Amino acid sequence: MILTIESHNQPEFPDLIDQMFQMRGEVFSGRLGWDVTVTDDREIDRFDDEDPAYLLSVNEKTGALQGAVRLLPTTGPNMLRDVFHVLAPEGAPESPLIWESSRFAINPHIFVSDDRTIANHRVNSITLELLCGIVEVCQKSGIDQIVSVFDARMARIFRAVDCSYDEIGTPTRIGKVMTHAALFEMSDAMWTRLARVGGFDAPVLAKPDAMTRLATVAKKAA
Amino acid sequence: MCWGVSAVNENDSECLQRALAEISAATDHDALDTVMAGLLPAYAIKSAAYMGTGITRNESEPVLAVTYSSDWVEHYKSRRYVEIDPVVHQGFRRLLPIDWSEFDSSQSDLRAFFGEAAEFGLGSHGLTIPVHGRGGDRSLFTVTSDFTDSDWLDAKFEYLRDFQMLAVHLHEKVLQLAAKSLDDVKLAPRELECLQWISEGKTAWECAIILGISEKTVRCYMESVRKKLNAVSNTHAVSIAHESGLFFPRL
Repeated sequence: MILTIESHNQPEFPDLIDQMFQMRGEVFSGRLGWDVTVTDDREIDRFDDEDPAYLLSVNEKTGALQGAVRLLPTTGPNMLRDVFHVLAPEGAPESPLIWESSRFAINPHIFVSDDRTIANHRVNSITLELLCGIVEVCQKSGIDQIVSVFDARMARIFRAVDCSYDEIGTPTRIGKVMTHAALFEMSDAMWTRLARVGGFDAPVLAKPDAMTRLATVAKKAA
Repeated sequence: MCWGVSAVNENDSECLQRALAEISAATDHDALDTVMAGLLPAYAIKSAAYMGTGITRNESEPVLAVTYSSDWVEHYKSRRYVEIDPVVHQGFRRLLPIDWSEFDSSQSDLRAFFGEAAEFGLGSHGLTIPVHGRGGDRSLFTVTSDFTDSDWLDAKFEYLRDFQMLAVHLHEKVLQLAAKSLDDVKLAPRELECLQWISEGKTAWECAIILGISEKTVRCYMESVRKKLNAVSNTHAVSIAHESGLFFPRL
């Protein structure tokens, strides 16, 4: 299930956002070795100060964090324009109808204890849930496209789960990482394709009552 | 490839294209009020409102362009609804569109607030689109409607894209108008000095002593300042200068 968390409803989910920052530290600095700033085990950058919207994949029963992604409008501060502009030599997208997704991460703890096949299946399933969540949020918000900067590893995942994209510019090596920038169509066709691969027959975004229930779970856990 | 926000898209509805053209042509704030008024028949909505903050340095009040009746504005002020209005309280920190139906109407003060908004002609539904600008500037674009629940859902789905476009274009225009009024005003060094001392509470005579010029010359400078800033008095000139950041070196 996907929770939509913005600045105003963060207090209803104490811990969850903090867990996300810790997970990002573990994934981006620990596993992937990206050049990111980690303080007290938490990876937080200046775009987290811009009141972004976070989509969090949580276990429906336990409320445990499974993965996360961050959305920012391209009309405001965003990573492609402000950090990775080398990837968009013709200018980064800047449109009311294009938002940027960044910091896509799957919680490494969900696959440590399982055998490889089950682990891969879970990673794919959470990836697809987050991707479907992005499409749903965009469609609810009148957004046509998502732009995103990602590495070769994510590019393989996108191809594996049938998530098509249009590259802008040419993939470029930044540090150790081959980096892509691409646009993703937030269409019904995109949702249907992803949902088919993920085996979802209904929207993945939590309805308000489910949000309230999970907030109660989160508060008890905290 | 053109990524500019002003790029015209062939998918844009006719009313959106017209509204965007009007926004683009607007040269002053009054023109924006006209644009807002034009949105009501175009989208069959009851009200449209723009509220921007962080537009100029030292702004004391948000920038507004609203079609609300003066009755509602007066009522809103006299009841001090700004203290409970959840749209204003949360909106500037949010990003996704806000459908007013999400606000907890089990709270009696909010129920009264939205009920009165409907009575004053805003309608029973509202949608607010937050805009995040580049430099900490933010705004809220709000439309309200008296559609039935199901018509509202349909209309919202159909026009969300238009409202996102309008929100950002209005915001860009407001920024542009603010920058224009700032750029157009070029005060001479002496004029700025006089204005700064006046803003510190000095009289023309005191300014004359401080600057080593005649009092008549000070009055002359201030007359020029008032004209350039389109101010009715020295106090007014000081407040305009504060609002538009004239007292700070330009970046």
